[in-house]
Amino acid sequence: MSSLSFDRLGKSYDSVEVVRQISLTVGEGEFVALLGPSGCGKTTILRMVAGLVQPSTGRILIGDEDVTALPPNKRGLGLVFQSYALFPHLTVFENVAFGLRRQGVAAAELKRRVEDALAMVRLHAHGGRYPRQLSGGQQQRVAMARALAPRPRVLLFDEPLSNLDAQLRDEMQIELKRLQRSLGITTLFVTHDQSEALSMADRVCVLANGVMQQFDTPEEVYHRPATAFVASFIGKPNRLPGTIAGRDGAGGTVRLGPGCTLASAHVTAAVGAVVEVVIRHEAIHIVPEGADGLAGTITLRAFNGARVHYVVRLDEGVELVAETASSGALAALAVGTAVRLAIAPEAVFAMVPA
Amino acid sequence: MSDMMPRRPTAIAAWAVIVFLQVPVLVVVLAAFSTTSYLTIPPQGWTLAWFGKVLSDPAWLSAIRMSLFLAAGSTVVALVLGVAAAYAIAHRMLPGSEMLTALVMAPLVMPSVVIGVAMLQYFSLIGLRGSLVGLLCAHVVITVPYIVRSALASLGGLDASLEEAARVLGATGLEAFRLVTLPLIRPGLVAGALFAFITSLDNVPVTIFLISARQTTLPVLIFSSVEMGVDPSVAAISTLLIVVTGLVLLVAERRTGFHRFI
Amino acid sequence: MRPARHGMALAAPLALFLAAFFVMPVLLTLPTSFREYVPGMGITAGSWTLGNYREILADSYYREVMWRTLGLGAAVTLACVLLGYPLAFMIARGPARWRMPMMMLVIFPMMLNLVVRSFGWIALLANRGLVNNLLMDLGLIAAPLKLMFNLTGLMIGLTHIYLPFMVLMLVAAIQNIPRDVEVAAMTLGSSRLHVFTAITLPLTAPGMLAGSILVFVLTISALVTPRMLGGPTFKVMATLIYDEYMQTLDWPTGSALAFVLSGLAIAIIWASSRLTRRWAGTA
Repeated sequence: MSSLSFDRLGKSYDSVEVVRQISLTVGEGEFVALLGPSGCGKTTILRMVAGLVQPSTGRILIGDEDVTALPPNKRGLGLVFQSYALFPHLTVFENVAFGLRRQGVAAAELKRRVEDALAMVRLHAHGGRYPRQLSGGQQQRVAMARALAPRPRVLLFDEPLSNLDAQLRDEMQIELKRLQRSLGITTLFVTHDQSEALSMADRVCVLANGVMQQFDTPEEVYHRPATAFVASFIGKPNRLPGTIAGRDGAGGTVRLGPGCTLASAHVTAAVGAVVEVVIRHEAIHIVPEGADGLAGTITLRAFNGARVHYVVRLDEGVELVAETASSGALAALAVGTAVRLAIAPEAVFAMVPA
Repeated sequence: MSDMMPRRPTAIAAWAVIVFLQVPVLVVVLAAFSTTSYLTIPPQGWTLAWFGKVLSDPAWLSAIRMSLFLAAGSTVVALVLGVAAAYAIAHRMLPGSEMLTALVMAPLVMPSVVIGVAMLQYFSLIGLRGSLVGLLCAHVVITVPYIVRSALASLGGLDASLEEAARVLGATGLEAFRLVTLPLIRPGLVAGALFAFITSLDNVPVTIFLISARQTTLPVLIFSSVEMGVDPSVAAISTLLIVVTGLVLLVAERRTGFHRFI
Repeated sequence: MRPARHGMALAAPLALFLAAFFVMPVLLTLPTSFREYVPGMGITAGSWTLGNYREILADSYYREVMWRTLGLGAAVTLACVLLGYPLAFMIARGPARWRMPMMMLVIFPMMLNLVVRSFGWIALLANRGLVNNLLMDLGLIAAPLKLMFNLTGLMIGLTHIYLPFMVLMLVAAIQNIPRDVEVAAMTLGSSRLHVFTAITLPLTAPGMLAGSILVFVLTISALVTPRMLGGPTFKVMATLIYDEYMQTLDWPTGSALAFVLSGLAIAIIWASSRLTRRWAGTA
C-alpha cells in the first residue's frame, strides 16, 4: 500500500487549462473523493494518475516513486471505469485474471487469486459467464474484482456507480466502502454525486473549473464551505440576490429586500455590494408564529418520504424552500399557514457571484 | 391500426426482382451442364465434360492459380497496411486524418478504368509493366479501401476504455491491441478481408491493362474467351466460381454475420 | 499517451504506398493528356496542346459517346430505384423469416464475378440466346430481337450489376425510419398511401440519393459489362478509353477522356455531398 500525491499537477489542451496546479496527498489507506460538476477536471486528473493522459505540468507520486513519465502498464494501479470496460470476449474469470497474467502469475496461484477476488465481490459462482450475461450490479462488481486482483498500490474509481439505479447505487456505496476499509487500500474516487462523496470518502476534494476549491473532511466541506462554489454546490441551496447592509468581523448583515435582513456569519464582500445569498433547505427552520424569525406564508408543500419541503413566501415577496423531518407537528402544515423562519447566521453565505 | 407493412403487390414485385437477380446465374450453371454449346430450355442433355475440359487445360489452371495468388497476396498486404492506418485514424493519433481517409477511399471514387490506364503508363515508365509486383500493388490499391472501411467501422464501435483498461492492468500497447482490440474487431476484419479478396478476384478493368501475355487472371481470361465467342467451358469455369462464391458467402454469414459489414 | 509520432508510424506505410502507387500514376498521366498524338508516329515530344480536350468536347462522335454514357447512367439509376425500392421495403419491413434469405439473394449476385454475370446475360440476350429461342419457339416472334450490342442490352446488364448496391442502401435507409413517426401519422388520420408519400419516401430520400449517386458513378465508369454486352461498336466512355489505350494506342486522347470521366464522377460525388450536407442541416 502506498500514498498518492500530486505536486502542482496541471493539464492544458490547446492553451485551455482544464486542471490548474493541483497539489494534494491521499494518505496510505485513505479514501479521497474528487467531487465536482462535469467538466471540472476531475476525470482528467484521474486519467493522468492512471497514465492515460500526460500532464502538462507537475508530478504524480505513488509512495516516494515519481510515476509521471511511466506508461499505464508500469504504474501498478487498479482502475474501475464508469462503463466498467469489461472485456466482452472474455469470461468473468479471464477478465479478473487479465492483470495477473500480465504479471506472469503461475497457474495455480492465479486460479486461487481470481477466485479470492471473485469471492470478495460475492461472484464466485459466476466465473464461467460472459459479461453480457450479468446484471449491471454484477458487472460493476466484476470490474472491481478485476481491478483488485493484481493487488494494486492505489485504486481509482471513475464514477463507477453512475450507471446503476438509485437503490442499487446505495447498496453498492456501502459494499464498496466496506471492501475498501477491509483491504485498507489507498483510493481515489471521482464523482459528481455529492452524497456519494460525502458518505464514502475520508476526505473530499471539491473542484471547479480545474481549480481545487476545498480539500477537507466531509463534515468540514459540508458545514464550513471554503468558497461560494462549495457552499452552493454541496447540499440543496436556496439562492437569492441580496446586498450587504453591514459588516461585523467575518460576518455581517444581508438585505434580501426592503425591511428584510438576515445575519450572516460568512460575508466576503464590502457594504453595498450585490451578492448571492446561499442558504441550504435544511438550515431553514420553521418555528411557530410569534417566535423570532422572518414572517411568511406556506405556498406549497411537498412530501417525499423522509422529508417534507415547504415553499414559503416571505412577506417581502421573497420565496424560500425549507425542509423538515416528515413526522411531528411541523410536518403537517397546510398551504396558507402563516409561519416564521429561523435561520442561524452560520448557515447564511453571502458571496460575490462568480 | 395496420402498420406500414408490405402488402401483396409489393411482395410480388420484390420476389420478381429477386428472380431477376438470379436469372443470369442460373443460366450460366445450366449451360455448364448442357451437352449443346448453345443453351435451350429444357437442356437437351446433361454432361460434366466441360468441367473436365476446363480443369485439364493448363491455361485455365494457371489463370486460377494467378488469381488466387493475387487475391490472397493483395488482401494480406492490404490488411497489414490498412489496419495499422485505420487504428491511427480511429484513435485520432495523427493530424490530418480526414485527408488520409479521403486518400484511402479515393480509389473507390476514381473510375477503375482510369486507375488502370494511369498504372499502365506509370508501370511502363518505371519498368513494372507486366510484372507480378506491379499487378500486386495495383490490387492492393483497389482492395485497401474495403479493409480500412471495415476496420474503421469495427474500431469506431469499440469502447475506447477497453484498451485503456488493459493498459492499466499491465498490458503494453501491443498486448492491449492483440489481446483486447484484435479479437473484438476480428469479425469486421474477416468480412472486410473477404470483400477485399472477392474484389481482387473479380477485377478486370485495372488488371486487363497490367497483365503480360504470359500470365493472365481468371476473370480476364473469361473476358477474353467470351470476346472470342460463347463456349460452354466458360460456363463451366464460371459455375465453379459461382459455387465457390456462394459457399464462401454462406460460411462468412454463419461465422461473422457478413451482411452487417457491407 | 498517444503521441502523434506513433500515429505517423502506423499510418505512414499506407500513405506512402498510396502516394507511390495511386497518386503518382494519376498525376503522371495528366501531362499525357496535353500531348499531341500523330497517327503512326505516336506521341510527339516537346509540344503542349489543349487539342485533345477540345476534340472531345467538339467532335460529334465523342459527344455522342459522352451523352450516351450519361444517359445510360441516368436510366440505370432510375431502373435501380424503381426495382430496388419494393425489394428493399420487403426486406426491411416484411416477415422476419424472409429477411435473411432475401438479403443473401441480393448479396450473392453482388459478390459474384462481374464477368460471369455479364456472360450470363450474353447467354440470355444473344441473337441465338435463351430469350430469343424461347420467344421463337413460342411463335411470338419470327426473327430474333436485337437485345445486345445496343442500349437495351447495356441497360439490362448494368441494372442487374448495380441493383444490389441500391437495395442495400435503401434497406438501411428504410430501417432507419423511426416506426413511431409513421404510426403517429396514421393516428393523425393519414392513409397508407399518404403515410408513404408524406413520411416514408421523404425520410428515405437521403438514402435514395446516396444509392443513386453510387449507381450513377459506377455505371458511367463501367468497362466490363459495356464491353461484353455492347460489343466492339456500341461504345461508352470507359470502353472508348480502353480502345484508345489498347488498340489505337492514342494515349493522349485516352488520358484526356479518362480525366473527363474522372472529373464527371468526382463532380457528381462532390455536388451530392454538398446537397446531403444541406439536407442534414435542415433536418
